[in-house]
Amino acid sequence: MKIFLSLLFFSQLIFSELVLEITKGSEDPYSIALIEFSGSKKITNEINSIINADLMRTGEFKIFRESQLLSTPTNEEDIKFEDFKLLGIDFIITGSLINEDKFNVSASYQVFNVQKETKIRTSKVFGIPNKLRQLAHYISDGIYEEITGLKGVASTKLLYVTENINDDKTIFKLVVADSDGSNEQILLKSSEPIISPSWSPDSKQVAYVSFETGMAKVFIQTIATGKREMVLENSSQISSPSWSPNGKFLSITLYQDGNAEIYILNLKNQNLTRLTNHYAIDTESSWSPNGSKIMFTSGRSGSPQLYEINLRKFSSKPKRITFEGNYNAKGSYLSSGEGIVFVHRAKNNFQIALKYTNESFIRPLTNSKLDESPSISPNGNVIIYAMTENNMSMLAGVTLSGAKFRLPARTGEVREPSWSGFLR
Amino acid sequence: MINLKNILNKNFLSFFVFLILLSSCSSMNITEESVYDGGIQTVEASVKEDTSVNYETKAILANATVYFEFDSFKLSSKSIQTLRSAVTAMKENSSIKIIISGHADERGTREYNLALGQRRAESVKDYFVLNGINASRISVKSFGEEKLLSDGIDEASHSKNRRAEIN
Repeated sequence: MKIFLSLLFFSQLIFSELVLEITKGSEDPYSIALIEFSGSKKITNEINSIINADLMRTGEFKIFRESQLLSTPTNEEDIKFEDFKLLGIDFIITGSLINEDKFNVSASYQVFNVQKETKIRTSKVFGIPNKLRQLAHYISDGIYEEITGLKGVASTKLLYVTENINDDKTIFKLVVADSDGSNEQILLKSSEPIISPSWSPDSKQVAYVSFETGMAKVFIQTIATGKREMVLENSSQISSPSWSPNGKFLSITLYQDGNAEIYILNLKNQNLTRLTNHYAIDTESSWSPNGSKIMFTSGRSGSPQLYEINLRKFSSKPKRITFEGNYNAKGSYLSSGEGIVFVHRAKNNFQIALKYTNESFIRPLTNSKLDESPSISPNGNVIIYAMTENNMSMLAGVTLSGAKFRLPARTGEVREPSWSGFLR
Repeated sequence: MINLKNILNKNFLSFFVFLILLSSCSSMNITEESVYDGGIQTVEASVKEDTSVNYETKAILANATVYFEFDSFKLSSKSIQTLRSAVTAMKENSSIKIIISGHADERGTREYNLALGQRRAESVKDYFVLNGINASRISVKSFGEEKLLSDGIDEASHSKNRRAEIN
C-alpha cells in the first residue's frame, strides 16, 4: 500500500498532463535506474519525463530516479555497479543529447546490465526538433525492447473519436494522437456522428463510419493526403469496417437484406462475399492475426454473444465462443492468437474482459460502469478502452500483467480508441 | 575408453568456452534510427442538408415515436396504439412517405446498437406493411446510440433513448 501511494504521488507530481494510476503493475517488475539525460535542461527535462511516463505506463518497471540512487554516473567509467546491486536494480539507463541546434536534435542512450556489469545496448536516435516527444518515445521503445524482448508501443499512435458542443452545435472529430494521448491531430471534422474507426494494417489509412450523408456509410481515408473514398455506394447503410491482416480485404456489415449481415469486400475488385446469413443481428467482425478466422457479435442465441467462423473451411458454420452472461460483444483477437478481448456485461456494468482459448472462464480486466471499445496494442500487451467517470469521458489502458493507466481526461466525449500498428 | 572420455570432456569444455564468447559478443546491441514523421491532413466532411424532412408529413404524424425494452425490438401494446393511428393517418394521406429511424440507449457496443436500431425501425416498418401500407412509402435507417434524446445514466433516460421515430 505504501509503495502504491508513493508511486501514485510520485507520478502525479512529475506528469501534470498524464494521470498514471498504477494500481497493480507486473508481479515481478524489472528494477531500473533512469539517470537523467545530459544536455540542455530545456530539452532534457521534457525528454526525461516522457521516457519515465512511457516506461511507467507499460507496468513492467519499477523506476528509480536520481534522488533514490546512491550514485548518479554521467558516463560509463563512473558507474559503480555495487551501488546499484545494493538497491536491487537490474538495469541502468544513461543518455545524452547530441547535435542540438536549430535543425538537428539527436540522442544517444545506453543500457547496462547490473548483474553482469556490462553494457548491453548503445543506441542513437536522430530526431526532428519540433517532434521531441517522438524522439523520447523512440528511446523508450528501445529501452523496453532491450529489457523485455518485446517491441515497445510508445512510438505508436491512437485513433479515436471526440464529440464536443460549441455554441449549441455538436462537432465530431476523428483524431490521431501519440500513444500517451498527446500531440492530437485532426483527421476529420463533421457535424454528424463518426463511429468505428480502425487502422489499415500498414497504418497509412483509416476506415470509419460517417453519418454525413444522413445514414451510416464506410469511408477509407489516407492519413498523409486526406484523400477519402466511400466504400460501396449503394442505398442502404454500411458499417463496422475491419481490415484483413494482409490489407486486401475489408469485412463490413451491410443492411441491404433489412438486417445486419457480415460481408467481405475485396478492396481491389470490389467483389463481395457474404459471410453470415441469419435473421438475428450479425456485426462487429474482426480478423484473427493470421487471417484464417473472423469473430463477430451475433444475437442468434437471444442475446449478443461472440461467434467465430473459419474462413479456410468450405461453408463452415459459425461457432459460439462466449457463454458467460447475457452480453458479450465487440471481440478482438490477441496478436498471439491465444485469446480474445471483448465487452462483457456483469450485472449492470459493462466491462472489458479477456478469455484465453484454453480456459473455460473469462477474466474481467476493468471494473467501472460503462467501459467499451477495447483495442489491443500491436505488441499484444496493452488494451486501450473508453470509460466514463463523473460525466468525464476518457481513454484508459490496462496491461495483461494488470497495470492500469489513464490518458488525460477531457470535457466532452472521447471514445472508440483504435491502436495503430508499429510505426518505428 | 578413457581416451575417448578425455576427448569428449575436452570438446565439451571448448564448446562452453565458445558459447561464452558467443554470448558476450552478441550481448551488446548497437542501433541507430531516425524518427519517422508522416504528415497528417485534416478534412472537413460536407454534411448533406437534410432534405428528407417533409413538414406536411411531420404535421400529420405529429412526431410519432415508439419505445422499446433493452436489447429488444418487440413492439409493446402501447407502441401498437401509437402505430395504429399512424397507419390511419397514412391511409388518409396516401401521398405521404415516411422515414423510420431506430435508436438505442448508450449501454452496449456502438455497432451492435446500430444494428439494434435498424431492427427496431424494421419492426415498425413491418407493422405498417402488415396493415396495408405499401413498403415503397417507407424507408428505414438507424442511428444506434449516436443521437441520444436524454443524457442521463438512469433507466428513465435509457428508456427515452430506446426508440423509433416516424417522420
